[in-house]
Amino acid sequence: MADDPRIAIERATRAQLTSRLRVGILATASAGLTLLCLPNIVRGWEHYQPAWVQLVSFTMLAGVLGVEAALVVRGRLWPAAWRWPAVGVVVLAAVLSYSALPHGHAASAGDWVFGEATWVGLVVLLSRPLRVHLAFLGLHWGVALANMLLTTDVDRTTVLRFATGSIGVIGYPLCMAVTAAAFRGIARSAAAAKWETEQVAAAEAAAAESHRRRQQRFADLDLSTMPLLEGLASGRLDPADPAVRRECAVEAARMRRLFAEVDVVPNRLLHELRHCAEVADRKGVLVELDARGQWPDLPLPVRRDLTEAPLTVLATAASWARVTVVGGPDLVSVNVLADCGPLDLPRPAAPGVRLEAFGTGERLWVEVRWQATTSPR
Amino acid sequence: MAGDHITAVIVDDHAAIAAGVRYWCERAEPPIELIDARARMANVWTGPGALADVVIFDLELVPGNPAFGELRRLVDEGRRVVVYSQHAESGTVLKCVNLGALAYLTKTEGPEHLVPAIQAAAAGRAYTGPSLGGVLVADDDPNRPRLSQREVEVLRAWFASSSKELVAAKLKISVKTVDTHIERVRVKYANVGRAARTKSELVTRALHDGLITLADLGDSAS
Repeated sequence: MADDPRIAIERATRAQLTSRLRVGILATASAGLTLLCLPNIVRGWEHYQPAWVQLVSFTMLAGVLGVEAALVVRGRLWPAAWRWPAVGVVVLAAVLSYSALPHGHAASAGDWVFGEATWVGLVVLLSRPLRVHLAFLGLHWGVALANMLLTTDVDRTTVLRFATGSIGVIGYPLCMAVTAAAFRGIARSAAAAKWETEQVAAAEAAAAESHRRRQQRFADLDLSTMPLLEGLASGRLDPADPAVRRECAVEAARMRRLFAEVDVVPNRLLHELRHCAEVADRKGVLVELDARGQWPDLPLPVRRDLTEAPLTVLATAASWARVTVVGGPDLVSVNVLADCGPLDLPRPAAPGVRLEAFGTGERLWVEVRWQATTSPR
Repeated sequence: MAGDHITAVIVDDHAAIAAGVRYWCERAEPPIELIDARARMANVWTGPGALADVVIFDLELVPGNPAFGELRRLVDEGRRVVVYSQHAESGTVLKCVNLGALAYLTKTEGPEHLVPAIQAAAAGRAYTGPSLGGVLVADDDPNRPRLSQREVEVLRAWFASSSKELVAAKLKISVKTVDTHIERVRVKYANVGRAARTKSELVTRALHDGLITLADLGDSAS
């Protein structure tokens, strides 16, 4: 129901803020019911017609307070689906009580429900806007007024008794309702603040994580790219030297691979290989890339090992290269064949990755193979 | 087949492809006579095309709609078909092999594969180009034939290098042995697939040449 995290936060904040107020109102309502209403019922027992109806009405209100007590203990607000039936129970209890009230007793000590029902109603409607409270109080007061007009000889004393009684009966719960309404406003802004704080914290965590990754990637470049750039800047390395140019091509391919590593694509290995191949393609090398089979998503260190040698070969190739990948669930074999002459290739570091180089003349054929270390079922 | 003289008919909607293939065929040793069906299947069934030893067939005359039906009719009539097509999905390639095409070549595979494929097909033998080798080695269909470790190794190397000399040198075997392994794979595939005339020919031939024994056939014939 409250799937939206903002609504969930707001409900939680409101429950937290109003919990003390709820305890106070619950205590008042319960004390009124047991310490004022119960003795009054007992005292007027023989006057009610019949008396057991008062007991039913009393039990109904006590039941609503019981539910509230359970909700307070659990720190929860009234579920929306229960609220209106509960209000119905309160109104019904009042009507029942009036129906068994003897003639001429409206707003007297025996009319216990006149003062009590408003508190129980307040308990149920506490989280609702002020106008809902006003409507409920109005309804209750209307029922009481109708009862007075119907069951009492309306004279000056009775009307005055009803009017003075109404001030307390309506006034005190209304004060509480106004307080609760103020709390609602506070809860809303508190929830908004909390939501914003959480958003900021999440954004900060994400930024810290991407910063960490960027630093990691920078560290990877630091080992190989930086010395090359420094050498070129200081003039120690000659751009005309074929070895330097080869190094530059390899570093360019590594950087391309690095950029490709952050892309979210279905087949990362192939995606990264394509980027490596493009570096050769730009140099005018004719590159054929063919892949067959399906393999699982491999972790970054394995992918790096699988692409490192092909990347070096591709960056060094003179005029043509053939890159092929063939794989299955527990084996991936990346092959590159090119006219790049003999090369010193870095050994793979990840477990399960093997490199095999085979050269004849200018042709070099390198196979890097990953094999799952645990045999499949 | 009249001695060493091979005739082939090409069905392809790209004039440049037909012209290029004609050039390769003329330079083949011995030269292959090429008939251009001008993208019309009728020219394969009637006239000089009907007598050609080999049909070079572009599977996607209509792009995106592989003509498996035409391929099936050709094979059922005992024609020897080399499928010469765009780079295709593994499923399409395997289906062609299962329907009985003797070779499946992609258009990035040039005369060094097409000419031997035509020659092999004319003699009723299958030809497996590197890309088809890749498809076969990566085939994960549960009904695929079981390949030996060595056959897998050879196919993978053939796909990677597209040179039998390199495969032989790397695996330290002879080129002849490389060929044998690749042919055995095709016979195994022909064996599990639909019975077609060219397929039974393929199997009979493999038995004659001693590529397989009757015991091998028992594996999947049951």
